[in-house]
Amino acid sequence: MIEIKDLKKVYAGVPVVNIPQLNIARGESIGLVGNNGAGKTTLFRMMLDLIRPDGGEVLSNGEVVAGHEHWKNYTAAYLDEGFLIDYLTPEEYFYFIGGLHKYSRPQVDEYLAGKADFFNGEILKRGKYIRDLSKGNQCKVGVAACLLQKPDLLMLDEPFANIDPSTQIRLKNVLKELNSQGITTLVSSHDLNHVTDVSNRILLMEKGKIIKDIETNSSTLTDLEAYFAVGGQTV
Amino acid sequence: MISTFAQHELKAFWRSKNTGKNLATRIVMAILILYLLLNVLVVAFYLDKIIDKAMPDEDIIPGFCGILLYYFLADLLMRLQLQELPTLRVQPYLTLPIKRNSVVGYLSFTALLSVFNLWPVLLFTPFTVKIIAHENGASVATVFILAILGLTVFNNYLALYIKRKSNLNGWVFLVAAGVLILIGIADFSWHLYSIRGISAYLFGHLIKQPVLVLLPMLLGAAMYYLNFLYLKENLYLEELGSRKASAYKSSTEIPLLGYFGHIGDLVANEIKLILRNKRPRSSLVVSLFFMFYGLIFYTNPQYQSSPGIKLLPAIFMTGIFIISYGQFMFSWQANHFDGILVSKVDFKDFLRGKYLLFTLISTLVFILTIPYVYFGWNILLAHFCMYLWNLGINTTIVLFFANRNYKRIDLSKGASFNWEGVGATQMLLGLPLMIGPYLIYWPLAAFGHRDIAFIAIGIVGLLFILTRSYWIKQLEKDFNEKRYTIAEGFRAK
Repeated sequence: MIEIKDLKKVYAGVPVVNIPQLNIARGESIGLVGNNGAGKTTLFRMMLDLIRPDGGEVLSNGEVVAGHEHWKNYTAAYLDEGFLIDYLTPEEYFYFIGGLHKYSRPQVDEYLAGKADFFNGEILKRGKYIRDLSKGNQCKVGVAACLLQKPDLLMLDEPFANIDPSTQIRLKNVLKELNSQGITTLVSSHDLNHVTDVSNRILLMEKGKIIKDIETNSSTLTDLEAYFAVGGQTV
Repeated sequence: MISTFAQHELKAFWRSKNTGKNLATRIVMAILILYLLLNVLVVAFYLDKIIDKAMPDEDIIPGFCGILLYYFLADLLMRLQLQELPTLRVQPYLTLPIKRNSVVGYLSFTALLSVFNLWPVLLFTPFTVKIIAHENGASVATVFILAILGLTVFNNYLALYIKRKSNLNGWVFLVAAGVLILIGIADFSWHLYSIRGISAYLFGHLIKQPVLVLLPMLLGAAMYYLNFLYLKENLYLEELGSRKASAYKSSTEIPLLGYFGHIGDLVANEIKLILRNKRPRSSLVVSLFFMFYGLIFYTNPQYQSSPGIKLLPAIFMTGIFIISYGQFMFSWQANHFDGILVSKVDFKDFLRGKYLLFTLISTLVFILTIPYVYFGWNILLAHFCMYLWNLGINTTIVLFFANRNYKRIDLSKGASFNWEGVGATQMLLGLPLMIGPYLIYWPLAAFGHRDIAFIAIGIVGLLFILTRSYWIKQLEKDFNEKRYTIAEGFRAK
């Protein structure tokens, strides 16, 4: 599904992403972990053609991402609030995104009705623009808008960071269900528990490089905790 | 503590992204500000002559005393509209071990650092020094300056107080503005009293009894103290902020746009952008006000004799929105530009949406300005031809420059004195927009074919409209080269 070749990005002489080769197969669920500044968001942005790589390329379904539009048909992503049109109400935003994928309003309404649990009554019909929602609720809007697009490839940057525990659990269930449907997911997180829970493959980034690429099994969490441990203490 | 605050403030100013980083922007900004100052100073230095001309049968000093109160009333109204609250900058200090009194004192004091407080001083000091010091002696002049300062401070804090109150309750603002306007109407239309008389009486007494200066100074101090107390009581983020207590926001639809399908959706979003955010909204309001521009030109017989100038109202009225809103194109959407790039929006459609938006608003303005036909048929012709030109050429020029605009705009900030997003692009943009039509007009008009000149402008505009898909393709190609730079610029907060 995704193929990365010799991908490089350098800021002020410091390489922030440097990935010689990475393949992601269809249906895989990838968890991306790494400390702040490891290059996770930069990698995401290059995969979405938001930043020009200094070298190499990202292929999606065999086609270079940069300069092409086909990948937009089956890719949905939420990296930060910059993906939301914040002066719209959540409903207006969902209708807009739905409209891009040729869904009628009743179809969107039907989808939203199914997300009532996920929204926990805090998103729809609250009479607020997206900009007036809390960060966590904005994240819910972003994730829900992604799912609305029925993507084959879903990319989320730290989706667990701002949302409440109940929503975290709901989101994990959603992600697991997507994987069971054969949808490729790519999720970054600082929460090792969550990320190992929803991923069958973990990529560990450090200073722009992928230094570990492991299948998730019973010992993965302990391994990761050992890597991130500071001064002999585990997380 | 105060000096630390002041240092932070200076750093905030110089390091902010708004402060023009490149030299050209700084120079142009400096020239603009100097020009404004110069205008005020010229008025200030010739104030005695102006008063003499305006009120020939009155002595200069009573005349001067008469206008002061008018000035401060108008000043208050202006401040209510334009002055920004110095607000959230205190947020980082609130939880630190710093005395509330110093935070509040600092916040109140920095409120004085507003251009509005500069105008009255600049405007009235020269007159006071030149005339009053000469007639009544230096001590009376000093007293006058002190009184003006006192009233300035009073106005400053009164306006801020009203603004703060109206953040909590929108009616406060309406009532305050209403009262001010009533005070004006009661004088001008109903002649219940004469503000001029009162003003002359009050300031006239100041000359005789300089001790009275204590009154305006006390007023200023009292207002400052009231503000100080209010702030101290209400040092909470939501009450400090310039954000209004939000009412229920309902989703709206613009039915007409459904007709344009997917592109219509994009335009609907952009119209919501304009209506729901202060700064783009004021650019729309300004454009609508420009519809009265023709009244200045067409009613003035002097302009009838110099026909080249006739083009100006036509350019502005049908095209001001394209200029005022279009000059910051794409920056308006800086906040969610990443989202647009990743979403399934074809950039061609994105551009078509911009054209449609410009077309809708220009058409609206064109229709609304049809009554100017009263001043002659060829005015309608000029309007129509410039309308075509604006839609054909100026829109394309604006979008061409939009590809070169990498500056972010924060939509939550107001329009007045907001330099955010202003760069070399905006400075350059004006030239082709204004000069373009004259390139066609002058040569033809020089031979006396004025109407033909208008028609030629219209035809060229029409040609560009007909070949629009070609221009869209070129713009897209151009955009694809610059998209990363644009997106990066918009991401930089």
